[in-house]
Amino acid sequence: MRAFVKLLAIVIVSGLALTSASAATPQGVFTNWYKLALELVRHTATYTPPVASRSFAYMSIAAFEATASGPSSLKSLNDQIQGLPLAPKREAGKTYNEAVVMHSTMQTMVENLFSNTGPTGHHAMDAFSKKMASDVTLGAKKDVVKRSEKFGRKIADSILKWSMDDGGAVIQNMGFPTTYTLTKGPAHWVPTNTIGLQQNPLLPSWGKNRTFAMPDGATCKLPSPPDYSEDKNSEFYKQANEVVEAKKNLTPEQKAIAKFWSDDAMLTVTPPGHWISIAMQILEKQNADMDKTAEVLTKLSIAEADAFIGCWNGKFQYDLLRPITYIRRVMDPKWEPLLNTPPFPEYPSGHSTQSAAAALVMTEAFGDNFAFTDDTGTKDGLKPRSFKSFSAAAEEAGISRLYGGIHYRAAIENGLAQGRCIGAFATALKTRK
Amino acid sequence: MRNVIVATILLSGVATAAEPTPVVPTFVEETKSSGISSTYKGEWVYMVGGGVATFDCNGDGYADMILSGGSNTAKFYRNTSKRGGSLKFKEQASGLELDKVIGTYPLDIDSDGIMDVVLLRVGENVVMRGKGNCKFENANKTWAFDGGDAWSTSFAATWEKGANWPTLAIGNYIDRKQEISPWGSCTDNWLHRPADQKFAPPVALKPSFCALSMLFTDWNKSGTPSLRVSNDREYYEGGQEQLWHIDAGKPPALYTEAEGWKPLKIWGMGIASNDLDGDGYPEYFLTSMADHKLQTLAAAPAATFKDIAFAKGVTVHRPTTGTDLRPSTGWHAQFEDVNNDGLEDLFVAKGNVDKMPDFAAKDPNNLLLQGADGKFVDVASKAGVASTYSSRGAAVVDFNNDGLLDLVVVNRNEKAQIWRNTSTNLGHWLELKLQQPATNRDGIGAWIEVKKGDKIMHREITSGGGHASGENGWWHFGLGDMTKTEARVIWPDGQIGEWQNVDGNKYYILERDKPAKIWVQK
Repeated sequence: MRAFVKLLAIVIVSGLALTSASAATPQGVFTNWYKLALELVRHTATYTPPVASRSFAYMSIAAFEATASGPSSLKSLNDQIQGLPLAPKREAGKTYNEAVVMHSTMQTMVENLFSNTGPTGHHAMDAFSKKMASDVTLGAKKDVVKRSEKFGRKIADSILKWSMDDGGAVIQNMGFPTTYTLTKGPAHWVPTNTIGLQQNPLLPSWGKNRTFAMPDGATCKLPSPPDYSEDKNSEFYKQANEVVEAKKNLTPEQKAIAKFWSDDAMLTVTPPGHWISIAMQILEKQNADMDKTAEVLTKLSIAEADAFIGCWNGKFQYDLLRPITYIRRVMDPKWEPLLNTPPFPEYPSGHSTQSAAAALVMTEAFGDNFAFTDDTGTKDGLKPRSFKSFSAAAEEAGISRLYGGIHYRAAIENGLAQGRCIGAFATALKTRK
Repeated sequence: MRNVIVATILLSGVATAAEPTPVVPTFVEETKSSGISSTYKGEWVYMVGGGVATFDCNGDGYADMILSGGSNTAKFYRNTSKRGGSLKFKEQASGLELDKVIGTYPLDIDSDGIMDVVLLRVGENVVMRGKGNCKFENANKTWAFDGGDAWSTSFAATWEKGANWPTLAIGNYIDRKQEISPWGSCTDNWLHRPADQKFAPPVALKPSFCALSMLFTDWNKSGTPSLRVSNDREYYEGGQEQLWHIDAGKPPALYTEAEGWKPLKIWGMGIASNDLDGDGYPEYFLTSMADHKLQTLAAAPAATFKDIAFAKGVTVHRPTTGTDLRPSTGWHAQFEDVNNDGLEDLFVAKGNVDKMPDFAAKDPNNLLLQGADGKFVDVASKAGVASTYSSRGAAVVDFNNDGLLDLVVVNRNEKAQIWRNTSTNLGHWLELKLQQPATNRDGIGAWIEVKKGDKIMHREITSGGGHASGENGWWHFGLGDMTKTEARVIWPDGQIGEWQNVDGNKYYILERDKPAKIWVQK
């Protein structure tokens, strides 16, 4: 066991030092695989935020169903999540080792969802998996181990099979279509950088994917953004001018906020990973059991995955140009935002939508006015930030995009509202027997 | 299909048909007949690297070479080619035949006029002293060189002001013992500075971010080269590309945002430099996965660089030939004028890291010709060098001393390949070698200037960069229609040599304070 604790101690994701969660417990196994997955997210080329949210949801649901099938207070979500098949059944009267079941489930899920990672990711998965398997099976009866491993694989296989036709299983060209017709007209998105790969927008069909808890991507409708106008008295101009003024007068605190929530793909755990990280920090601090851990991470990841589908549905419905394009065209040709502008349409703000959805789930799980400190970005040199509540954190994530110069206010405010609508479908899930 | 082609062309930003078309050189692969048979082999720790060093170690004026072998031993080949003839090499025991070699760079460390070689390894790095006639011996002890025990992946050398011994920078990759969580485990890069005709214990260049290429370069013509480091973002946390002040007698210090440096995070794998726009300052091409970068100095004297890769048609983010249009993976890069038209061209070695399904499996190398408008167009397929092996290091060198640049490429888990430039319709050329007395005999850090009409071609003589590969020997210039021109040297200490008349299609030795001397092959 000492060797295993040592092994796990080096698998530390941003701000997530392993604490007392014993790896021999199912929740220890679950969260440690999750931590490896968070590392793989930042090191796997297709893992943009929508893709990451999808994988988190499937991983969590697999762990949830594996747990619910055993001696647990959880009930299967099969009748509440779109198309989720009935979980394979355990053999009646037979003994299972829950840590082994969880290891087998998560190993199958992570190795499959990250099968396209690089050689180092594979090297790490192999080494981690071997060591994990050797430790969770230590002292266990061979027949129990074999039965538990087989069952864990069956659960994962069932989830993976279900995942294949949701519209998000195949990501080509790192998510950027090789052909795409830009919408004509000054109001619409055009490429915002000179990166050859990003001359077409990221994942234009993501908004049509099958959702998890909400009916479809268009369920939580957005109001239209302000009408495009170059008139100085127009609402559109005023909102763009607010972005310019914000950049001009940024305080050190506002810069820190923008960078704290920047959550760039390929360089961080991404926005959905950021909220997963927050949840895991709190769950570890509370020594949460498996049921609570699975419940929180499942609802949270479903809320986020649905949020990205809903948000992307809106993005490609309105196909609005980014501040950098408008401001350079109309106001200041040399204007630079603080953050890199993401390569897809502006409205609504994805971070706002998914943060509000996440905050709703977290508030349900841990309560209103739950104060917490988030150190997700520590290893990337970002100072921890403290919040008085989850909704305060979500609002800060939203406004960070205006400070960063990549969103207008309407995208943030309406994105937050859309997120609250989407998150409500996740909180409505009945998880206990 | 028409739309696909159109979109691809637009995305790569290549020159349109209206632009003048550069002459496409012809290359013929001569791997089998050349006598070269070397494979850079190995699993995880050899996923990067695989280099080649070219240099003349027997004084015959022809470039010999050492090829990294990874888990195989490195192989040395003596060049037995005849002028203008087929490329011929003979493998011979040299003392360089070590295993675990990732990269190789030539450098006359002790300034005795005999080339030495630095071997970057998984494990202890080794400086090999040239004994003459292509024989080498381990000089770690003699020169007090601490080879360490790391996964060494990049190299650069300079002579600091007033020094009679070089300073070596060695870039290291991740901690190879951290198998479960290698991310964030970038180990320290080292600066080996001189100490009494030997090396002092290395200084750690903190922070280090998994360097896959390094280059000492005088980016602002200050007379003191800085150290550019290209880092692999796959492994660092809070990292970025780096530029270090390396000032004699002072500790190394990173350029800061206050000095104009702008953070850039790429899968940095190789650096090539050349003054493409003739303003006297080098541009820097950085290889990566998907989009590559071409940086130009934006606001001298600030250390601010602007990316012009898209505008110049060198993003090369996906294959430009073949049917596999997944994103590319670039490694070694080198600017040279392969068609002798007086405009530097660009070779980029490409290859999947290791069966990564999101990146092209058949990723042809690029040969990008520069047009008169400064834009580049890939002609690798037409020129015959679009190998789809998993390429890594390379060298664009005139192996048969005919004024036409040839090409050798190291491939991972496949044999290295060599091509002869057999073109018959190219422009004139000039090949120059520098020589100065006492220390730094090859003039590392000097600038060669060659007149081209009313413009001047500037070439900085460097040791390092590329990917695990380095060259030292004749410095090649294409002259186009010019049959004669003038050349001069700005020596590393700032002394400006006289303009000297030189004829095209000739080899010259440019020795400090002496007239240019024609070199004639024996």
